[in-house]
Amino acid sequence: MTGDMIIFAVSAVVAVFGAVMMIAQKNPVASVMFLILSLLAQAVCYVQLGALFLGAVLVVVYAGAIMVLFLFVIMLLNLRGREDLGLSSHPMNTITKFLLVVLLGVELVLIVKSVFMSGAVGGMMAKPTDDFGSVAQVAKLLFTKYMYPFQLTGVLLLVALVGAVVMARKDRSEIAHGAPSEEAVNEPTAGKVGR
Amino acid sequence: MTTAAPIIDLNLMIPEIFLFLWACLVFTYDLVTKRKSGNAVAWLALAGPVLTGILTVVMFSAGFYGYGKAAGAMFEVDPMAVFFKIIFLGAAFFAIGSSFGLLKNRIVNHRGEFFGLILLSTVGMLFLAASREMISLYVGLELTTIPLFVLAAFFKDDRLSVEAGIKYLIIGALSSALLLYGMSFLYGLGGTTDIWQWKLEVARIAGKGEGVGVILTLSVITILAGLGFKLALPPFHQWAPDVYQGAPTPVAAFLSVGSKAAGLVAFAKLMIGGMVAFWDPVMIPNDWGILTAILAASAMIVGNVVAVRQSNIKRMMAYSSIAQAGYIMVGMVALNDFCLSSVAFYMFAYMFANMGAFAVIALIEDATGSCEISTYAGLSRTSPALAVTMTVFLLSLTGIPPLAGFMAKYYVFAAAIQSAGASPTFGFLYWLVGVGLVTSVVALYYYANIIKQMYFHDRPSTSPITFDAPMVMVLAVALCGVVVFGLFPEPVLQFARQIPPPYELFQH
Repeated sequence: MTGDMIIFAVSAVVAVFGAVMMIAQKNPVASVMFLILSLLAQAVCYVQLGALFLGAVLVVVYAGAIMVLFLFVIMLLNLRGREDLGLSSHPMNTITKFLLVVLLGVELVLIVKSVFMSGAVGGMMAKPTDDFGSVAQVAKLLFTKYMYPFQLTGVLLLVALVGAVVMARKDRSEIAHGAPSEEAVNEPTAGKVGR
Repeated sequence: MTTAAPIIDLNLMIPEIFLFLWACLVFTYDLVTKRKSGNAVAWLALAGPVLTGILTVVMFSAGFYGYGKAAGAMFEVDPMAVFFKIIFLGAAFFAIGSSFGLLKNRIVNHRGEFFGLILLSTVGMLFLAASREMISLYVGLELTTIPLFVLAAFFKDDRLSVEAGIKYLIIGALSSALLLYGMSFLYGLGGTTDIWQWKLEVARIAGKGEGVGVILTLSVITILAGLGFKLALPPFHQWAPDVYQGAPTPVAAFLSVGSKAAGLVAFAKLMIGGMVAFWDPVMIPNDWGILTAILAASAMIVGNVVAVRQSNIKRMMAYSSIAQAGYIMVGMVALNDFCLSSVAFYMFAYMFANMGAFAVIALIEDATGSCEISTYAGLSRTSPALAVTMTVFLLSLTGIPPLAGFMAKYYVFAAAIQSAGASPTFGFLYWLVGVGLVTSVVALYYYANIIKQMYFHDRPSTSPITFDAPMVMVLAVALCGVVVFGLFPEPVLQFARQIPPPYELFQH
């Protein structure tokens, strides 16, 4: 067992542990913290693959910026983990959830099995080139081969922006009737002032 | 690797770009009129899909526009793309046209955003229909659904609408995650995101180890689950009734036709275009045909049976649309020369009937504020024309001749029967068609229930319904579509038959 292998094993276990704990936590702040832990461990895996840039982006953008925003929103809404998230207990929902979990579990086992099966998959995945995952390589792909989907994501951002404005902006009727924002957040029916 | 940027041939993308700019124009118009644009912004938005359609036809006849590839073969205008683009533009036209009633008191703020987001979602669908590569397909699909999250939650002071938005958001994220997970396996196998290249590559390595079949099967299952959520095929359907009920009625209509057609296109591209070479028991032990057939059968059974019990007409239409998705999937698994053309024609006929029925529902909801089926009691006494129109739409959805819905169902089932007769591998299709025919009878029961309410109740529960001009237009176009394409389906079918058979989908 080489040093690489040990680092990978530790970071992989930490990543999965973080992901599981993130779902299991009742307190949203703890959830976010575990998600950050999982992301950091994933970044280590990226770096091991040679994708230094992607690892750095994962830490800076996801673990850094986006997760801080998550924390900010959670603290702004003042969630303290006592909220009933109102998970519906409809039997069909339970069945679907169960099916999905079993499906993903079986899938994981089979993938691991088929990757380690002797001579099965080996050779079909191309070995990464030397500059795999470097800034230059990522940029080259983004601005040449994948230029078109990259441009499309620009439209996607516009949609997200407009959508956020529609959802978040206080409406004229609401302002006129002075619906208190905190009440509207905690009790959706209280927002019916505008009618 | 090539370092030159691919030349993005903008000629072929003019309809998409035009509609995108038109959506921006709608946003801007609402802003410069200081948000007092009234109905004008809705008319402006209504012109969007119509002008895009006209522009495309004009360019086509002038020779500017035609079948071909652009953007490094990631974007392709082919018969399937064009046919589905017509459906998407039609769905947007009907959805916007039936939204005018909402402007009076429901949508007072953000009118520009409401219509602009419908147009942007349509832009996403147009891009999706033209993609021949996994990443642009995924981005197109997201561009289709993300505006719909906002549109579903557009009544911010209505608890049901907000709930619908949140539910659709979470389900949308989950299904996208499943889809991406499956596509990542595909990429790992083939090393390319181009669907045609991928197919060739995997066909090449297929014999060299048993791992390929396992990974293919797993990605098929994951992608089926992801698309199953998008198409609301049981057991991935629970979100649909709640979202349809809570969302503004024109948005629910747009969801049931536009979003469904988008899911179908994604399915056709990934499964029929990408996987069909592996329709082989050796490669995939449980090939995706059987899985899809199970999903289709459960959609027909669950959709039709549960629809009978609904008292809210929007929930009933949600279950009915689940069942219709089941019928469409019967055509998909036929996998012969007629499969994609029958599916496309079904979607075309379904668009007119379903958008029409939803337009009537929207009209009644605007007038009475209620979506209960009991509201329709005695409608034939107060508004006879409306009752006749609704009856025609419902009969078309049931599949009664000579309406378009009957022809659509006939072609889908005929494709399946033909396929079942041609090869013993497809023998299960006989069962599937049997399930389809039996459940159609159940469908007749709940559609006829509304007709019964409208005609055989003495005490009308509504006063006469007044129409506005766009609503008359929408109902007239939908009615014409249902009747004309039922009597003369040939021209449309001939166009649909240009869609290449499954094995040649991306070949040229």
